[in-house]
Amino acid sequence: MTGYVLGATEVADTFAEAFPMRFARLVITAASEAWALEAARSMTGFATSVIGCKCEAAIEMPLGAQDTPDGRPGIAVLLFAMDREGVGKRVLERVGQSVLTCPTTACFDGLPRAEGTVPLGRSLRYFGDGFQGSKVIGGERFWRIPVMEGEFLVCETVGVGRGVGGGNLVIGAGDVDAALAAAQAAVEAMRGEGVALPFPGGIVRSGSKVGALTSKSLPATTNHQMAPTLRVQVDDTLIPDGVGAMFEIVIDGVSEEAVRAAMRRGLHAAAGAGATHVTAANFGGKLGEFHFPLTELREAP
Amino acid sequence: MTLTLALRTEPPARVVAAPLIPERLLGCTASTVEAMDLRCGGETVAVGDLFEVSGVGGEADSLVLAGDLRRFDWIGADMSTGEIEVHGDVGAWAGAEMSGGLLRVVGDAGARLGAAYPGGRVGMTGGEIVVSGDAGEETGAGMRRGLIAVGGQTGAGAGLRMLAGTVIALGGIGAEAGLGNRRGTLASGRALDPLPSYAFAVRFHPPALALQLRRVRELGLIVDDALLRGAWARWSGDRTELARGELLIYDEENGAR
Repeated sequence: MTGYVLGATEVADTFAEAFPMRFARLVITAASEAWALEAARSMTGFATSVIGCKCEAAIEMPLGAQDTPDGRPGIAVLLFAMDREGVGKRVLERVGQSVLTCPTTACFDGLPRAEGTVPLGRSLRYFGDGFQGSKVIGGERFWRIPVMEGEFLVCETVGVGRGVGGGNLVIGAGDVDAALAAAQAAVEAMRGEGVALPFPGGIVRSGSKVGALTSKSLPATTNHQMAPTLRVQVDDTLIPDGVGAMFEIVIDGVSEEAVRAAMRRGLHAAAGAGATHVTAANFGGKLGEFHFPLTELREAP
Repeated sequence: MTLTLALRTEPPARVVAAPLIPERLLGCTASTVEAMDLRCGGETVAVGDLFEVSGVGGEADSLVLAGDLRRFDWIGADMSTGEIEVHGDVGAWAGAEMSGGLLRVVGDAGARLGAAYPGGRVGMTGGEIVVSGDAGEETGAGMRRGLIAVGGQTGAGAGLRMLAGTVIALGGIGAEAGLGNRRGTLASGRALDPLPSYAFAVRFHPPALALQLRRVRELGLIVDDALLRGAWARWSGDRTELARGELLIYDEENGAR
């Protein structure tokens, strides 16, 4: 099933299958980058998969003070859900629990020209118990919620854009250490503007398949075809000879092109960091609207 | 294309300049504007007699006034959209009861900037006023929404019976500020003695004010970094009203963090 070879890496002739999603982009600022990072990490925690977490979220990138609305260090965060309503609920919950609570933070909309919006400060203001106030600054309304440290400043609404969720690469090598090193190199290359890698460290070791062989009620179970311990136990293994471990990197992006570009960066980084095999997960092309053939990623970024 | 009115001659009496707002001049030619009448004392006078008019009031929705306009009152009053830029000083009631748009004065402004009309309760309800120099008495009186930013000082009585909105004076708010203030914000870049009906709450770094100061900088005023980074003392008042208004005074001694 080798599509082509990049150095010592065999790249499978297959494709990643992805889905339309809605997303919000938040800019979290704080008195220091460390506190902005604390809030962003908390906000994007337990947001690996819409199946189990109702949303997928990750840090997009750090922002310098010159790139944030209030001139303080910041972190851009991307949050994806299946529809606008889902984005609205998850953003409200997570900003309320993880950003409002975090020392010195403020929260801004990072997608001001989006086609749709969901309320944030407009709903969160009620935490102020009547003591909240608002200011319209440069045509945009912000809410000031009094807290024990001073005030939490939050934008009234956040924009919701149309994105792509579920792009992926599956990276294999002879053993866990080698495969993980290659996957980490891929993650480093993929992270950046317009991309969220929602799993821990950007990497997932428990790739899943839809449904189960043993139950009709389970929505997802282990991808037994890519479990090396089952290589000789199942008839439909996809583990190539010589591969002892595989890791998946799931990519959500603000556009099809953002996902494709990230996959290209990741594929070439993995190949240069010791991956022996790179493939991708799909559902036969029947479920996802977006297909990313690995053959189209052959040219280096 | 911007419509420009350059003052030819000083008027014999005070002029009501309220008709000179972008929404009323949209699409007007220079000759149309020159033929408009303005109240001047007890008489009327044609715009063309006072100003040299050039350009066309096009889609740009902007108007430039140039000259010493201290005898021109109500400049930008009632405007709801567009932009007026004045190169020179303006008289009283500039931006009175405006509801939107931007009034920029490169010079000083007279009394009752952005205020309510005489006998009216509600002053400015939206938009932004930026004055590079000083502003007169009772700036922002009755103000409900919007931003007034003054590069210099305001006269006495700023924020009189203010309902909400923000008045920032980088050079300092004048005496007796915020009498009857309900929910408004008065921010002073220099020390001042608050009225007895205000009570000290805390020294802190107000995040909304930082954002507003950055906006003021965008609008062309010089804002010292120390004001952006420094601590401000919050005084709550007016306690004869809701006590939900605030007087923010830059804390020069605490310095920037």
